[in-house]
Amino acid sequence: MSDLSPRLPLPADADRVEARRELGRRRKVIVVTFGLLLLVAAVALFAIGLRDATEFFRNADEAIAARDELGERRFRLQGRVVPSSVTIDGGVTTFEVLHNCASVSVRHTANPPVLFQSPWIPVVLLGHWEEGDVVTVAGRDTHYFLSDDMVVKHTNEYAAANEDRLPAPTEAPEGFLDDCPFEVPRL
Amino acid sequence: MIETPEPDLRQQAQRAGSLTMTGSVATRVLGVVAIAAVGVMALLALWISPADAVQGDSVRLMYIHVPSIWVAYGGFVLTAFASARVLWRTRSGAGGTYGVIADRHARRWDRVAGAAAELGVLFTALTLVTGSLWGRVTWGTYWQWDARLTTTVLLFVTYLGYLALRRLPAESRARARRSAVMALIAVVNLPIVHYSVDWWRTLHQEASLNLEPGGDRNITGEMYWTLLYSWATFTVVALWIGIHRYRVLRLEELAEEASLEELLAQRRDEQAAGR
Repeated sequence: MSDLSPRLPLPADADRVEARRELGRRRKVIVVTFGLLLLVAAVALFAIGLRDATEFFRNADEAIAARDELGERRFRLQGRVVPSSVTIDGGVTTFEVLHNCASVSVRHTANPPVLFQSPWIPVVLLGHWEEGDVVTVAGRDTHYFLSDDMVVKHTNEYAAANEDRLPAPTEAPEGFLDDCPFEVPRL
Repeated sequence: MIETPEPDLRQQAQRAGSLTMTGSVATRVLGVVAIAAVGVMALLALWISPADAVQGDSVRLMYIHVPSIWVAYGGFVLTAFASARVLWRTRSGAGGTYGVIADRHARRWDRVAGAAAELGVLFTALTLVTGSLWGRVTWGTYWQWDARLTTTVLLFVTYLGYLALRRLPAESRARARRSAVMALIAVVNLPIVHYSVDWWRTLHQEASLNLEPGGDRNITGEMYWTLLYSWATFTVVALWIGIHRYRVLRLEELAEEASLEELLAQRRDEQAAGR
């Protein structure tokens, strides 16, 4: 029966064993450091993300209702772009966004994304309320939304470009304007 | 002077050393099927399926982006299932309290968990990259901290941590059990990622396919079938890679065992030589 109990290294092997242990220790330090960095990254991502993530935007009707509370604070506004309201002048794009029959006049100072050109596309705008008399499809208003950042929020519907069942490109999505007490001019 | 190992131990060491291939007839056939399926998928996704009415040709990224995350979900669920099996098979009284894993089923499940998690991380990375590119074209930005994107990147980082944990030097049983516990914690994020678009307001659109019976589907015609075909293709590819990874993990274990056997053989030789 062989003796397989732990033993001390032979003097000749001592350096090699020590070197191997050192390598093991270094590897452990690297892995633990990497793990801790990942943990810190995860916590940081979670904290940054949660700050904005759960309520990423306010719909147009909610933003109007909370106008006093919002003041000049920056927030994200969401609504569908009214196709007939879009004008571009001197690098400023002016248009209206509509949600739940509430319309907000927008002045956007940066370049809009390519898909902004699609009629009735939902967009999310980052900016704040500014005082100023404006006229929207829903009537007169005392404020407009000054925005400098826009992302397009496309829907979860996918259909072939030439499919017959699609509404005409400039028509509002089905049911979107049904409850609105005003008419929206066609493009 | 190191003597030659005893014949049976030498055979084991040689066996482990010579097992350098992870392929078999089955995996070669699977590989051919996977490559052919990817070819057909490219044909369907790039030429046969139509452009989208709003997004145009950028919609074709969907055929990589969506199946990637479905396969990643599958990988993470498999990791969790395998990890639960590991914990069950190595519980006190079933496999000792320390040292190497004696139970061969537990070792198998541990390898399955590792290989599946690697696949999950790989396909989540693919999801994040393709999603970012798609977002640039459609949203107008590579990244936004909305709930879906944030929880997905958290999922990715968590499983990177899981893979790092698996690499920590430790007795195999302790390593397998602590990894299994982390896998069962990490998988909690999966439903959060999936339902984040329903629970919170996100820039990311809601699910286009409701897979429940009678559920809506918002993708029409060839786009729908191309998406399902792409998912099947990604599943075959993932299976192919996964089997190879599983076998690589097995080879690593064999090499480790052979190394241990070699050391034991040296001890016996030293003793026989009177040292």
